[in-house]
Amino acid sequence: MKHILYILSILIITLSACEKEIEVDLPPTTPLLVIEASVNTYSPWLNYVFISNTIDYFKPDLSFNGVKGATVYITPGKIVNSDTLFDKANRYTFADLSNLGNIPGLDSIGRSISGMYLNPLFRASANTSYLLEVSLEDGRVITARTHIPPVVTIDSMKVRYDGIGETGKQNAYLSFWFNDAPGQNNYRMALRNNPDSVLFGWGNADSYRTFDDEFVNNGVIPFEFFRPFEGGDTLNIYFTSIGRKEFRFWQSFGRAANNGGPFATPGNVKSNIDGVIGSFTGYAVDFKRIIFDE
Amino acid sequence: MKISLKHIFIFLGLCLFVFNTSAQKRYTISGYLNDKSTGESLIGATVKVNEIKTGTATNSYGYYSLSLPQGKYTLVFSYLGFKTINVPIVLDKNTIINQKLDIQITESKEVVITGEREDKNVRSTEMSRLEITGQQVKSLPVIFGEPDVLKTITLLPGIKSGGEGSTGFYVRGGGPDQNLILMDEAVVYNPSHLFGFLSVFNTDAVKNIDVIKGGIPANYGGRLSSILNVNLREGNNQKYVVNGGVGLIASRLSVEGPIQKGRSSFLVAVRRTYVDVLARPFLADDLKGNSYYFYDVNLKMNFNLGQKDKLFFSGYFGRDILNYTSPTNRAINFNLGWGNSTATLRWNHVFNPRLFCNTSAIYNRYDLFNDFNFGATGFNVRSGIQDWNFKNDYTWFINDKHQAKFGLNYTFHTFTPGILTGQAGSIILDQEISKQYAHELAVYAMDEWRINQRFTLNAGLRAVFYNMVGPYTKKQYNDDNLPTGVEASWKTNESIAFYPRLEPRAALTYLVDEQSSVKASFTQTYQFIHLATTSGASFPVDLWVPSSLRVKPQLAYQYALGYFRNFDNNKWETSAEVYYKPMYNQIEFKPFSRLFLNQNLEEEMVFGQGLSYGLELFIKKKVGKTTGWIGYTLSKTTRQFDELNGGQAYLFRYDRTHDISVVISHTFNKKWSMNFVFVYGTGNAVTLPVARYAYRVGYNLEQNKPELTFIDVYDKINEYRLPAYHRADISFTYLAKKTDKWESNWNFSVYNIYNRANPYFIYFLPDLDKLEVKAYMVYLFPILPSVAWNFKF
Repeated sequence: MKHILYILSILIITLSACEKEIEVDLPPTTPLLVIEASVNTYSPWLNYVFISNTIDYFKPDLSFNGVKGATVYITPGKIVNSDTLFDKANRYTFADLSNLGNIPGLDSIGRSISGMYLNPLFRASANTSYLLEVSLEDGRVITARTHIPPVVTIDSMKVRYDGIGETGKQNAYLSFWFNDAPGQNNYRMALRNNPDSVLFGWGNADSYRTFDDEFVNNGVIPFEFFRPFEGGDTLNIYFTSIGRKEFRFWQSFGRAANNGGPFATPGNVKSNIDGVIGSFTGYAVDFKRIIFDE
Repeated sequence: MKISLKHIFIFLGLCLFVFNTSAQKRYTISGYLNDKSTGESLIGATVKVNEIKTGTATNSYGYYSLSLPQGKYTLVFSYLGFKTINVPIVLDKNTIINQKLDIQITESKEVVITGEREDKNVRSTEMSRLEITGQQVKSLPVIFGEPDVLKTITLLPGIKSGGEGSTGFYVRGGGPDQNLILMDEAVVYNPSHLFGFLSVFNTDAVKNIDVIKGGIPANYGGRLSSILNVNLREGNNQKYVVNGGVGLIASRLSVEGPIQKGRSSFLVAVRRTYVDVLARPFLADDLKGNSYYFYDVNLKMNFNLGQKDKLFFSGYFGRDILNYTSPTNRAINFNLGWGNSTATLRWNHVFNPRLFCNTSAIYNRYDLFNDFNFGATGFNVRSGIQDWNFKNDYTWFINDKHQAKFGLNYTFHTFTPGILTGQAGSIILDQEISKQYAHELAVYAMDEWRINQRFTLNAGLRAVFYNMVGPYTKKQYNDDNLPTGVEASWKTNESIAFYPRLEPRAALTYLVDEQSSVKASFTQTYQFIHLATTSGASFPVDLWVPSSLRVKPQLAYQYALGYFRNFDNNKWETSAEVYYKPMYNQIEFKPFSRLFLNQNLEEEMVFGQGLSYGLELFIKKKVGKTTGWIGYTLSKTTRQFDELNGGQAYLFRYDRTHDISVVISHTFNKKWSMNFVFVYGTGNAVTLPVARYAYRVGYNLEQNKPELTFIDVYDKINEYRLPAYHRADISFTYLAKKTDKWESNWNFSVYNIYNRANPYFIYFLPDLDKLEVKAYMVYLFPILPSVAWNFKF
């Protein structure tokens, strides 16, 4: 419905709208800490912790204010009786990318993104909890937990070719099916339309979908792309299962990123790390790749 | 606050007893006042008795009743814009005089502001109440040449517009859902067409508009802030008349005439936009299937069934339709539609010359219906609200000291929050959010008591019994917005939430002298149904929701005090009013709440309070070649919710420190007249981001650059003020031809004469080259000339 509202407002605006640049005076603010932490079952390039600070709105600086010098650990949990224990002996240190030295391919990333913490040796598994511990140079300590649910796989895919698109290639309509387990499940999907399938950070994808099983539960769920892909495209699908708190964060993130139109009540994302903005998300990834017929 | 029906009847009985003891041997003169040329009833016309300096006014059905001792009198019937008539009578029995008044042909006829009693402003107990005629609405300059009732009332003090692109109006700090909007007694839940640019009222069919923003009498209830009463014309019972108008975006046509001359009449008025029809042949192929239009139809019939009975039927049906087909993929299309339907059957009966009764049966509904098709996926979503309403109102003209009103009003509400049906691939979609049902019964009694020459008291009590009933199933949700599997169910007609509430109302007038008075009023109002909106504006997707276990009825108290003074033989009216209005159980939504198809909507609500207070100044010139008014409001409105803004009070989005409106009408000669409007209002209070951060990090190896999304951080609510809203409009009306058979005029208007860029909203865009974020203000209407042609034959 948000979309309809958005379309309506666009329609109104195109009826007879004009715009001009204005000066808005906003007072400076105290920076807030922002953490984006990801662990996943598929790719080492999607295990990372990105730490930054908020920036005053009109500050003429589009950098992202990365925070260096933090000590970052991620520890897998073990279930002992019905408790989850995080043993320090098993913890992994995530190092500031700019301190990792000359690792081919990574040095240029490290130079342009400060506040990025990685451990290329870390691997995460489904059905496992993880503990994140961040200690900042100023003494602040932040901890957070996430749980990677079981992997849900895409069972089948179907492509329907219909008509020729604007670029002269045929329209490819993709559908796929997956089996939603009993209980409540949450999904987040990242899509990358590129012959190269590797995602360097989730931000490297083209588009995202975040949804749950509110309308169809415990059964085969179809997923249909309304917009066609082009013949010859290579689509990489990172189909992931995530926890509910993580879902709530990414759902609110999606709404905050799209802004909901000019009349929506603005709001802040629903963080699931205490005391900071952001989320620690564990992803159970099913990766699929499809090349559409030319 | 616990009261029962028994208490109410005891109260009513006491009232009757008190009134009866004061009755003595007298005779009654009663009847209807009508416009001679059309047969339309005259509302608020005066009947004076020369010999004893007393009098009355016709009620909202054009009926009057006077009780006098035996004797010889001269009755003076008058109504602004009509010839005054003196009727000598010998009163030795109860007498019925149905008087017809003739229009006074003067050059200022076009600019009659209201048809009220000349000194009503000073003498009546009504305060915070304003009336406008349909004629007045038509003469003011308007955008696209489309006259509009809701745009016009926002020119009155204390009533604020939501800005361009909104027919939502805000009365003394109340929200747009706190106005009871009635069209011939039927509730209109969404008064807007064209996403709020125009209202549903066709001015060709409008007779008069009555706005009550404070001191709401006990015969009205159900909303916290105001009553907007739009009465439609009954139709000419003397001859057939066709009215029409051709504007830039819509055309209107109405036909009226006698069914049986002098006894019954009908009126049919239709209106439709035609941009879609005109544009269709010129659309490129890929734009075919895209259109927008609205239409509405008013139908009214009026029958005089002898001296004692009158029967009316009034119906409305309106729809907005938007069709969209994707230019790149024609399998993607959607159709949106929404609109109101109402039907009112009304029976006026005179039991005896002193007891007038109105009985109405009313049906009204608002529907939103959408069809979406995305290739193999297609679905249909619907929502709405429907009411069945029965009213039984009595006016009892007890004697020259007391006039009582009492009655009841019963409504059965059906809420349809959302139904989704359709098919997504192989899955059949069939979701329905539980419908909700509620009974709302109100009984009231009030008395206008002329205590002595100086004091008049209007006191009343309204008792409301609200009962939300089954069938209903409520799913329990946890903090993560997930169903817990626990459900609570209620059987058909089983009570879910019962709220009996008392609403005392009082208004007191002290006549200082013949020209001035001081008035005070107190109003307590409850509201049992609420508009769920996350936009603050009025959109077709907004939902009405009932009071329930979790959602308590809204409550407001309003205290108002005013000084009223007329000058120069009532040619000039002035008033100064102050008001103080706390509001409780106000509703807001948590950020990012989803309204549609949300079974857990109530959990997304937060509850808090509001406060509004202010000063309203008004000066009006009623007659002469130049007429008009100036209104000024100084006010402050806040809201406070424990869960929002850290629990601190914040400014209401439509808080308006200063609000000025100037309306001037001038008649140059028989051919030309002019209308001018100027408005100024402090800018809306809005929430702007205070900071931003980069998130969802990634790195693009091909282009060697980081990929991030900027997200805004918000702090305090409504801390920023948009630039002030101000604008001037002018219109000239040229009476091209006027004969007995044919009348036509041209209306030339210029909207926003000095081309002020008024803020609609502001947004921000990062400029990646200059490495900075820029703010842009979107404004809707620059200077806009328009022309409309109206005719009548």
